[in-house]
Amino acid sequence: MSDEVLASPGVRRWRAPGFMLAVPAWAWFVMFFVLPVGFVILLSFGAKPDIFRPYSLEVLSFDQYAKALDPAYGPTLKNTLRVGITGTIACLVIALPFAYWLAVRVPPRWRGLLLGLVLVPFWTNFLVRTIGWQLIISPDGIASSALQQLGVISQPLNFLYSRSAVLLGVVYNYLPLMILPLFVAFDRLDPTLREASKDLGASRYRTFTQVTLPLAMPGVVAGLALVFIPLMGDYITAEVLGGAKGNMLGQLIASQFLSAQNWPLGAAMAVLLMLSITVTGLIFALVGVTVRGVLRRRRRIVIDVLEVAA
Amino acid sequence: MTATVAPARQNRRRIDWTNVAMGTWGVLMFAFLFAPIIVIVAYSFNTGRLLTSWNGFGVQGYTDLFDNPVAQSTVWVSIRAGVIAALLSTTLGSLAGVALARRPGRWVPIFMVVLTLVLVTPEIVDAVALLPWFVRLGTDWGLVTFSNGLVRLVVAHSLFAAAVVALIVRARMQGLDESLEESAADLYATPWNRFRQITLPLMMPAVLAGALMSFTLSLDNTIISSFISVTGNTPWPVYVFSSVRSGLRPEIAAVSTLMLALTLVAIGVVGLVLRRGGESSGGIARTMTGA
Repeated sequence: MSDEVLASPGVRRWRAPGFMLAVPAWAWFVMFFVLPVGFVILLSFGAKPDIFRPYSLEVLSFDQYAKALDPAYGPTLKNTLRVGITGTIACLVIALPFAYWLAVRVPPRWRGLLLGLVLVPFWTNFLVRTIGWQLIISPDGIASSALQQLGVISQPLNFLYSRSAVLLGVVYNYLPLMILPLFVAFDRLDPTLREASKDLGASRYRTFTQVTLPLAMPGVVAGLALVFIPLMGDYITAEVLGGAKGNMLGQLIASQFLSAQNWPLGAAMAVLLMLSITVTGLIFALVGVTVRGVLRRRRRIVIDVLEVAA
Repeated sequence: MTATVAPARQNRRRIDWTNVAMGTWGVLMFAFLFAPIIVIVAYSFNTGRLLTSWNGFGVQGYTDLFDNPVAQSTVWVSIRAGVIAALLSTTLGSLAGVALARRPGRWVPIFMVVLTLVLVTPEIVDAVALLPWFVRLGTDWGLVTFSNGLVRLVVAHSLFAAAVVALIVRARMQGLDESLEESAADLYATPWNRFRQITLPLMMPAVLAGALMSFTLSLDNTIISSFISVTGNTPWPVYVFSSVRSGLRPEIAAVSTLMLALTLVAIGVVGLVLRRGGESSGGIARTMTGA
């Protein structure tokens, strides 16, 4: 009896602080993520008082947003959105058959090795890989001399520092972020579902579009988000492969902080970047949900007709 | 006789064109994924003064490293920041991951929202948030630690990595039955012994994968680092980024090649440890990506 009384407080003392283990991480994230992001949002309402100080919070206003939405910056926002959306869709189109092949068609004993190979570029320095592309596509680079020797082009390749070069770079850099969630989604699928679909007389195409793909949708959505979000904020690829032409919002923000020293304007641009990512994401989510609803409805009608016929 | 055999054989030999197309696509994809890496490794043996124009084959890029104290010091800064950031984010993330999996409660959804926000915020937003914050802490509030370049790098690199580690460890612990820890408690193991002898070995593969992930994420980080780094503590990628404008030299490819070798060894070790832990390739991918 007395033992029990003694034991129970001891047990309770261990059980009670359940989330205690997460407190250090909590504190860390609040101190170096929540507060700084909150501060930068506050900063976007500030002003640059003179050339010596980067910011002042004495008067708060929407002035910086008005400046950031100036027509002069319009093309940059448009270009960023265009590169972001085209690049993300290109990643999906390129990665989908590859991830399916890797997860379903490749013999299991090779799968681990091939997946490891996909991870190699993912874990190689981002900037160095981009410089690798610069070496390939520059006018005196490998692609240029190879194409000239084959007689495809007569002059050195004029591709570096163009918008297409930036698009190539971002598709390359973010492709692994699309492949991995797609692979995980396809890998999780029960192969018996595909077999059942085949046994019921569905063609391969139908099995893929009506069984495999809908079940892999969470992976597709994860991949789209994983690629689109960092791509929109990227300025390194644009700087290395686009030069002056690859104008992305990230470059503009960086120049406000690092060279112009106008922090409030840069902060307002960063907030606008986050807003444009969120709004684009919401629009795509809305379209996705609508399309899914329409498809489900159409399929339900087909089943009703069959039932009536029977 | 031959007439009956022939169609069967033909049937067996009939090529599955979808498979061939997919296989070809797969090979092309690997060529695409590896093209710039192979080029960087090849160009690290360029003897030209500038990286971009090929001059001849030689190991000058590697030997020049010894005469370039600036490049050496930036690599050293990156490695130090990487190791400290990995230790820090692995500790923070592992503790949080265990708590998420084993101590459910009302705090979990709120914490998951913060974790998700940390993971989905574009790097450039973190960068523009941390620069004024460090200036405020270091200059305005007199906390001079935050004017130290290495401290800044470690703090900045540990955020995203800690969130990744927390998710990896949580996924691992959720997949494991809690009964082992409970039976250890029933056998009067102290909380510390229970953690050391049961929980820690169980979570070890995830912790290890997380630590290596944090280290490579830190080595890779360019955007945040270029905003917050302080002269004298410039990390390697920021040095490379600044020489993109001023002219790339073959040493850069040489160091990149050495670092690639290091990464390959790291991936190999993690893969081996996870495989020894009985994971499937899908499981390894899940563990490594935190999905």
